[in-house]
Amino acid sequence: MEDKNQESNIGDTCNLNGNCSPPTKNISIDLNHAKNIDDISTPSELKFDEDFEFEDPDVTAKRKEMEKCLENPDIVNIEKWQSFAKSKAGLIADEYRRRIWPLLVGVTRDEMTEPPSLDELSTHVEYNQVVLDVNRSLKRFPPGIPYEQRVALQDQLTVLILRVIIKYPHLKYYQGYHDVAITLLLVCGDKASFPLLCRLSYGPTAPLAPFMQTTMQPTQHLLNYMLPVLRRADDKLADCLDKAGVGTMFALPWYLTWFGHSLNRYSDVVRLYDYFLCAPPLFPVYVTAALVLHRAPAVYACDVDMAMMHCLLSRLPDDLPFEDILVTAKKLYDENDPTDLEAEVDALERREEEQRRLDEERLRQRRVERAGRNRAANGVLARLRRVLPRSPLARGAALAAAAALLAVYAYYRPDLFTR
Amino acid sequence: MTGSSNDHNIAGLKQKKVFKIIVLGDSGVGKTCLTYRFCEGQFLDKSEATIGVDFRERTVRICNEEIKLQLWDTAGQERFRKSMVQHYYRNVHAVVIVYDVTKPETFHSIASWMQEVESHGLTGAPRVLVGNKCDCGTPESRLATAYAQRLADKHGMPLFETSALLDSECDNVESIFMTLAHKLYSKQPLRVVRVEGEPGYGVVTLPRQRKPHITTGTDNCLCS
Repeated sequence: MEDKNQESNIGDTCNLNGNCSPPTKNISIDLNHAKNIDDISTPSELKFDEDFEFEDPDVTAKRKEMEKCLENPDIVNIEKWQSFAKSKAGLIADEYRRRIWPLLVGVTRDEMTEPPSLDELSTHVEYNQVVLDVNRSLKRFPPGIPYEQRVALQDQLTVLILRVIIKYPHLKYYQGYHDVAITLLLVCGDKASFPLLCRLSYGPTAPLAPFMQTTMQPTQHLLNYMLPVLRRADDKLADCLDKAGVGTMFALPWYLTWFGHSLNRYSDVVRLYDYFLCAPPLFPVYVTAALVLHRAPAVYACDVDMAMMHCLLSRLPDDLPFEDILVTAKKLYDENDPTDLEAEVDALERREEEQRRLDEERLRQRRVERAGRNRAANGVLARLRRVLPRSPLARGAALAAAAALLAVYAYYRPDLFTR
Repeated sequence: MTGSSNDHNIAGLKQKKVFKIIVLGDSGVGKTCLTYRFCEGQFLDKSEATIGVDFRERTVRICNEEIKLQLWDTAGQERFRKSMVQHYYRNVHAVVIVYDVTKPETFHSIASWMQEVESHGLTGAPRVLVGNKCDCGTPESRLATAYAQRLADKHGMPLFETSALLDSECDNVESIFMTLAHKLYSKQPLRVVRVEGEPGYGVVTLPRQRKPHITTGTDNCLCS
């Protein structure tokens, strides 16, 4: 984030199609895909830090308090850091985050060891997948970062990810893990981010651990908690989503990456991480629910159609009031403890299972019917159908014409028919 | 013909017909860029890994009728396939399987993608095979077309080799999806009266074929 050069090297030689021929159209930064981080200059983190004069007085006071605590961090208890991270504006700036994030998850200085070189790790079975995703994570780097620096950071990112999955071989890399890792790396650097990522990935309450199992089943199950939370908060909205059959897939990247993949503003991402680092593991799902609640008017205005709804929800606008959303999420969490929701989630999953079974049954039946129909329609019939006109009227007319012609023919050549 | 096309809309909620196309293939073969190229008409410079499924659409015109093509762009990583993407196979009309011509392993996994497609009952759905990134590597390093063609023939699907990156290949990308759109359009149930063109042929050709018969018939008769 230190670098603030303007768009100096958008057109670098590394593109996502592999590092092959240079792209023909490098300068096209105005993609309609969604505004990317480069396009938004005003709310960037840097600007935020510089504009002290516009800072909320509460935030200024908090900043002062944080600075005081950081002067002698050993005598400050974890609750204090947590309250900084959760309250309005979170940890405010990366210079504070760099020091406080490790404290929030209980990482000590001794754990911040020198990373190995990339070459040492390149034989890992997931190496190619990780490199593939890391190479495509350009959007997540600060705009205008010099090419060499970015490549160095990408190597650090690859090392960081591989180190964790080497240390815990039962944890599986998933696409999106790199989005979490890059956020930690950008804020804390390569030494501190390793133990941080380890804490998030390994252990019974590690928030990323469910995502790293052999299948995505545990993730899907946890994401399903969003629906009863929504249902309890706004029955009508839940009905609307249910009718569209939109499911929870739109929120999957939010949950898997703690919104790192889906938000365009870096400052929003790190703000959320401040909170998530000291919240219960399921808290991001409640934020997801709060976010959908916030967008209720747009959901109501949307066609009741799976595709449309998925499209609407999955693309996040840039001006989301995350402070409010976090407050709502906290309230939702306090009112609907995950353990209270279990029965509803189970019921929901049973219903889905039943639906899936019905679908499969229908599919099988259709297949049987189709096979039967194909047998019945022999070649002649099929050919006849192709030759004959399809409307019953036209078909009748054609038949009548054919009969008349036959009669005329028979009249002139009776010999052919009498013999 | 135009009158009968209205018949179809009585049951449907929308004016436009919607065809759902699912795009499959290994991670990093360019599924996102390909769908982006078709829907937005340009190359996606900073494409990222797709997590779960993404969605794009474009309206095209076939036989004077507007058709909406919905492209479901899926995550390539295997762990997303099993439980996650399942849901999106529902009501799919056509399938695009993409591989990277410079990475043989992505071609070899087509077999498992085909299996996946079949397990969802999409055997009868129109499918195309797309070899992407034909701008990359040297001709020797790229997978031979003949080799890919053999596989495509085996599964009875057309093969396209293209590049989502090159502007010059834009038409080719266009034809991939338009081929599917045309196929889907003509594949609509035959009892729908408005299968464009076909019924007309029947009406016209049948009497024409018979008429010469009459004249020759009468000629013969007069001679004998």
